[in-house]
Amino acid sequence: MAGTEAKKTESKKPAAKQSGAKKKEVKKETGLGLTHRKAENFGEWYSEVVVNAEMIEYYDISGCYILRPWSMAIWEIMQEFFDPEIKKMKIKNCYFPLFVSPGVLQKEKDHVEGFAPEVAWVTKSGESELEIPIAIRPTSETVMYPYYSKWIRGHRDLPLKLNQWCNVVRWEFSNPTPFIRSREFLWQEGHTAFATKDEADAEVLEILELYRRIYEEYLAVPVIKGKKSELEKFAGGLYTTSVEAFIPNTGRGIQGATSHCLGQNFAKMFEINFENEKGEKAMVWQNSWAYSTRTIGVMVMVHGDDKGLVLPPKVASVQVIVIPVPYKDADTQGIFDACSATVNTLNEAGIRAESDSRDNYSPGWKYSNWEMKGVPLRIEIGPKDLANKQVRAVRRDNGAKIDIASADLVVEIKKLLDTIQQNLFDVAKQKRDECIQIIHTWDEFVQALNQRKMILAPWCDEEEVEADVKARTKGEMGAAKTLCSPFDQPELPEGTKCFASGKPATKWTYWGRSY
Amino acid sequence: MLSLRLTSFTHLFSPPSSAVIARRSPAILRRRHHPRPWPLAASFSAQSSAAETQDRVENSKNRVTERVITPRSQDFNAWYLDIIANAELADYGPVRGTMVIRPYGYAIWEAIQEYLNVKFKETGHSNMYFPQFIPYSFIEKEASHVEGFSPELALVTIGGGKELEEKLVVRPTSETIVNHMFTQWIHSYRDLPLMINQWANVTRWEMRTKPFVRTLEFLWQEGHTAHATPEEAEKEAIQMIDIYTRFAYEQAAIPVITGRKSKVETFAGACKTYTIEAMMGDKKALQAGTSHNLGQNFARAFGTQFTDENGLREYVWQTSWAISTRFVGGIIMTHGDDAGLMLPPKIAPIQVVIVPIWKKDDEKEAVLNAASSVKDVLQRSGIKVKLDDSDQRTPGWKFNFWEMKGVPLRIEIGPRDVASGSVVISRRDIPGKQGKVFGISMEPLNLEAYVKDKLDEIQSSLLERAIAFRDSNIVDVSTYDDLKAAISQGKWARGPWSASDEDELTVKEETGATIRCFPFEQPQGVKRCLMTGNPAEEVAIFAKSY
Repeated sequence: MAGTEAKKTESKKPAAKQSGAKKKEVKKETGLGLTHRKAENFGEWYSEVVVNAEMIEYYDISGCYILRPWSMAIWEIMQEFFDPEIKKMKIKNCYFPLFVSPGVLQKEKDHVEGFAPEVAWVTKSGESELEIPIAIRPTSETVMYPYYSKWIRGHRDLPLKLNQWCNVVRWEFSNPTPFIRSREFLWQEGHTAFATKDEADAEVLEILELYRRIYEEYLAVPVIKGKKSELEKFAGGLYTTSVEAFIPNTGRGIQGATSHCLGQNFAKMFEINFENEKGEKAMVWQNSWAYSTRTIGVMVMVHGDDKGLVLPPKVASVQVIVIPVPYKDADTQGIFDACSATVNTLNEAGIRAESDSRDNYSPGWKYSNWEMKGVPLRIEIGPKDLANKQVRAVRRDNGAKIDIASADLVVEIKKLLDTIQQNLFDVAKQKRDECIQIIHTWDEFVQALNQRKMILAPWCDEEEVEADVKARTKGEMGAAKTLCSPFDQPELPEGTKCFASGKPATKWTYWGRSY
Repeated sequence: MLSLRLTSFTHLFSPPSSAVIARRSPAILRRRHHPRPWPLAASFSAQSSAAETQDRVENSKNRVTERVITPRSQDFNAWYLDIIANAELADYGPVRGTMVIRPYGYAIWEAIQEYLNVKFKETGHSNMYFPQFIPYSFIEKEASHVEGFSPELALVTIGGGKELEEKLVVRPTSETIVNHMFTQWIHSYRDLPLMINQWANVTRWEMRTKPFVRTLEFLWQEGHTAHATPEEAEKEAIQMIDIYTRFAYEQAAIPVITGRKSKVETFAGACKTYTIEAMMGDKKALQAGTSHNLGQNFARAFGTQFTDENGLREYVWQTSWAISTRFVGGIIMTHGDDAGLMLPPKIAPIQVVIVPIWKKDDEKEAVLNAASSVKDVLQRSGIKVKLDDSDQRTPGWKFNFWEMKGVPLRIEIGPRDVASGSVVISRRDIPGKQGKVFGISMEPLNLEAYVKDKLDEIQSSLLERAIAFRDSNIVDVSTYDDLKAAISQGKWARGPWSASDEDELTVKEETGATIRCFPFEQPQGVKRCLMTGNPAEEVAIFAKSY
């Protein structure tokens, strides 16, 4: 985010102003509701949703957020998918210290152009000044690679494939945005060393595929797999691949996760050598790859609506909320019992269901509350439902209401959850694809950029040209840059010219502004 | 861990602070005396297996003594550090006092997490994450809290190249930040109980460190709950220490003593601290987990109030409870022996290791095929199994290596085993021929049942052995002289206590022992304080500790 959006003050509480008669009605009835509309004021809407849906809480340190149970559960569900997958690949978890000595940090700084970590420094312990200040890790290359050098002696020590789940600190302070850009965040970082480049290349893509699955199969967010440009790649690496998501409301790309082939750069830096099978000394080939709590922010941005969060069933900690709807003389106890029975039946079938039996809130309030929190499916049970041995299911994604016979409950609910998951993906993909614009000239590029498109352009793949595009589009809204060159390359007819330089184009590349 | 640390008298090896990771000097390593005798041929099936036994003996003669572990009786601390290094559990971190947890050590921590996470959620707790930085002003709000922690705080004063307006503490625990938020989230009795947990890293700037047991940074879980009544809070604190107790007994095979801390040893800011105390192989006590009833201390300091059912404003009653990577150190020190680590099957990253043995090239394929089949059978049945088919190492080397790594069961498969459709199985906890069984059928159902049965047996055996060791090293005392004698023999003393805090400190100064806890399990009958002779309501456990 940049320009106008960059000037937005980080707000702990949403502005009091209201808009729209319908919004007033909702607020009047339940006290719930969002002040800002997604389509009208995206940044404020986002800040409001993540707080009102109880995903995060602001904290006294700028750029630091508390992850509440509602979002922590999502992070855990993604972990439950990813961790076993990497273990199948014989990647092992470990833990390296939070603290980095300044010597190795300086080493990376000396060897990696552009590496200028904004770190937090511990300078005191208790009342004593430390002889040497110690940094808190912005990433773990500098902590880990001295040990790779120590542990790797011969080819039998390879491959060495480690991952860690941890917190990192980046003390940058431009445009803090919950989940998307924060001073501290949770992530996994994988660091692997191989005897050959082929092995490293293969793993980069295997890991990238896992990241695609997290986004597309779990978060229901469509992404594009591709390679970063030289300018955009990780500075210390050989090449960088990424999964790129897109936020239609702002016309910005967002880097979802990255898988880097580091080549032998760090091996050279940290002297990570091994004796190969011929007895010769050789340097390892390395990768590093990561995804973070940013994933959650992307999901919120893509699926949320004016009522609040919309959670894909696969990552919802509560997939179904059951709400009793008592009525005058009706059998209240029977209704509550039916709710409990429904929850038990669903839970026993592996569905994450809960009931909301609080007697100090009206059913209407509860509907709005759970809609705000994005629960995929709401089940209402009132006297009529009780009499008819059925329940009413309401979808969060499109508001559709379906009456389901109690006898068919499990089968039908499972179908609905699958349908919702798929529908969220399909809708998101359609919106994103509608934003993709293929252009060929600079004028077309500028026009598409202003229309918030995700631009697919023929490019000559020259660093100076990319820098030039950045310079020419620099402005209030932020500069345009490459997002990635998709692995799925459309045909590039002979003679196609680069949209920006007029030179012969060598590939198609996505361009746009980004978070 | 949440309780204050006491000064350790143990001499500790200090890792180099330089960014260059120094290799341990060979001079530090000690040659092992009296290597264990190789097992003799078992009388059972002697005819068919004698030749293979002979092969193993011959192979062992070529054993390369690459890894050496100091005997426990010679230098317990050196033994501990040798195991951690050689079993590849951890390494010294780049900053003095920090620790790198390697995959094998981390997998044990993961086993602990897996069990506890389920128990926490079953009892109504949700996970969340609080930022690791705490404004210094938060720490200052609770007087005894800051007094207890201030020497150990790591303070961030520079961020992004600039001096910070307020210094930030790298969390030593999260009571202050949790209470800051509880104050904002709790308004009414309907918001209670609020029950959360977080898995995180914490920092205590320790002067003396020991891998897993005491490190600058360690991993833990910290639970924090708020309740409407003192009874509810107390019930929660007891529930959580009970979860820790059952974990220790049932998963880690460590027979802890569960009880209440003395006032002197109670967590800074708490009303009551409950603990599980474990006896290590050197008979020192390790505080393995704690659960605190915080009363209303933090609630008053932070103004954490709620409106009760009668409309009155009340302070919440709170608990906090924690277990950390220190527990991994406890497992090592409880079960290890001079051959290395010894892991209870329930938390072992590898429960069974398969070592194929062949002498001639034409035997290799059949042996490897059989070993691979056995692996598939066990893996399919949920057992964590490793096939060590490397041809770079001799079988004898492998036996020693996996024994050192503490793998509960080893399966040996040689050409004669293949021919007879059987395997040889050795237990880690019973060395030599006594722990080795020949001629176990490879038939899948039989093998699976046998292996599972043996794993259960080992789990029980380790617990029984640890119980026996603990119980034989606790002395009942009735006078201070008896206590001093017991402590000087390196044992734990159990005796009636109703003396003052000053007396408690005197005991520490004079004997090095502290009150570990007042056990929940108390003997019947009239008691007199071992120190003062006055009536005492309960006995206390005294011991030297980590």
